[in-house]
Amino acid sequence: MSAPAAPVTRPGDRPAARPTASRPAYRVGRRSQVRLLFLAPAAVLLGVLSIYPLAQLVRMAFSAVTVATLNAHWDWVGLANVRAGWVSGDTPHALVRTVVFVAVVTALGTGLGLAGAIALRTRGRWSGVLLALMVFVWALPPVVNGSVWKFLLGDTGLVNTVLVHTGLRALPAPFLYDQYWALGAVAFVNSFAVIPFNALVYRAALLNIEPEIFEAAAIDGASRWQEIRHIMMPAVRPTSLVLLVLTIVYGFRSFDFIYVMTYGGPGTATNTLPFLGYLQAFVRYDFGLGSSTSVVTVLGVLVLAAVYARSIRREESGR
Amino acid sequence: MNLKAGPVAIAVKALFTAMYGVPILWIVLTSFKRSQDVFGTQSSLLFHPTLQAYQDAIDGALFTAMGQSATIALGTTVLVLLVAIPAGYGLARTTGWLPSFGLGLLIVLQMMPQTANVIPLFQIFGRWHLLDETFGVVLADAALLVPFATLLLRPFFRAVPPQMEEAGAIDGAGVFRTFWSLVLPVARNGVFTVGTLVFLLAWGEFLYAVNFFLAPAHYPLSALLASQVSAFGINWPGLMALAVLTSIPILVVFTATYRLLRDGLTVGAVK
Repeated sequence: MSAPAAPVTRPGDRPAARPTASRPAYRVGRRSQVRLLFLAPAAVLLGVLSIYPLAQLVRMAFSAVTVATLNAHWDWVGLANVRAGWVSGDTPHALVRTVVFVAVVTALGTGLGLAGAIALRTRGRWSGVLLALMVFVWALPPVVNGSVWKFLLGDTGLVNTVLVHTGLRALPAPFLYDQYWALGAVAFVNSFAVIPFNALVYRAALLNIEPEIFEAAAIDGASRWQEIRHIMMPAVRPTSLVLLVLTIVYGFRSFDFIYVMTYGGPGTATNTLPFLGYLQAFVRYDFGLGSSTSVVTVLGVLVLAAVYARSIRREESGR
Repeated sequence: MNLKAGPVAIAVKALFTAMYGVPILWIVLTSFKRSQDVFGTQSSLLFHPTLQAYQDAIDGALFTAMGQSATIALGTTVLVLLVAIPAGYGLARTTGWLPSFGLGLLIVLQMMPQTANVIPLFQIFGRWHLLDETFGVVLADAALLVPFATLLLRPFFRAVPPQMEEAGAIDGAGVFRTFWSLVLPVARNGVFTVGTLVFLLAWGEFLYAVNFFLAPAHYPLSALLASQVSAFGINWPGLMALAVLTSIPILVVFTATYRLLRDGLTVGAVK
């Protein structure tokens, strides 16, 4: 399953669900402090297995760490790793690729997600079965989806067979071993994996529109396109904002399709920032360099998280 | 809403049917082919189905990998739920700077690229003798999925009317009893939804498995598949047979929980 894996859900956030002043709130107020204890197990687990590793990552980023010194003393080297990444051109190139990759995934993922939701809002057997099929494909492990697309996009794979036989191309397209095609192909498969989730969320937003609005529009003689443009698009705006950020994050942190389909290649063509950090650490065994690249991705995530928090707040105040 | 599909909607549906139907069809068809029948148009739909790929794939090593997948996915689900259920409830019912900070932290953590976690965890697990241990992979997967699970559970607990808990308090039940016997049963749909999603994610996770297990003999199915597909000279029918075998448990879970997933994933997206 490849989720943007972030909940867009907050059904209980309606003010009505909060205890009102007329209720005996004093008991709840006092007892709620006891409920902080419920957070303890998560705090311990994440402290040991997420926060502490992040601190180690930052330490490694500023140290000389190879596979030989991984469990020994690390020499502090300051910004040498970061500088090495920039001077060699690896980091800036990966940054550009990441931006292109995220742009393609976001455009296809949200655009086709919305198109799918609009087409699938109709009731009927076809819509129901197709929605189930899409959610199933979304639930499959990324290795399975990545494998089959690697097969379909090969030189003698189905896509090229169709392209050559219909005369659209004289020769098979080098989907996975041309540097530009490869980045585009992996970005397409990433979008493919996220479209069902986005379509599902958009569909829920569309089903929530009052039927009376459509009835009124029908009486006024609105066309289908006008319905989409003037009723559906405004109605899904708040959802779009959240999904946009989630899809950007999903594209940004993605590595599984790259791993399966191209392993960063051909050459360095599909080395996005997260994958570059992984290769530097686990293939070149330079853990210091890999950590410094990963710290750059962590900083990117912090920026995106701030944008996400803002868009959530705006969505909540916008209703 | 105009519920009749227009020509554009039909075209979009046809496109999506092809886009999502063909890959599934191709996985299954290819898994029943012989290696020499894989490429070429003549044989893509008309061929002599054979179980060769499955016979080759199914051996002792495969059952070991299946066992590993099941252990990791179930172990991760149990551990994540044990930690995330109380955390989701706690965050739903407390106010102040601490829960707000925790919430922000969870959002940041669940956005972290996994490739940034795998580097320090490899070093830390090496020191703690957790490399090459299934338990180590379960711990890493749990840490990866707890933020997601907690954030998704919180709104389900917020939707439980607080009056119910007040009633429990008046009857003299403590905070923990109220939670266990009143709140949890009401929020069970959320728990099932989140449990299913965590299982699916843990079943497909392969980056930790590939790096923390030092020998392929301990790999779960997802890691086996990942290491075979990135190798040279791929035996496609064998690979697709492995993909089908990896996906069968997903199909079972999906069939059992589709409605829950379809509605649970989006429950509050628009409310």
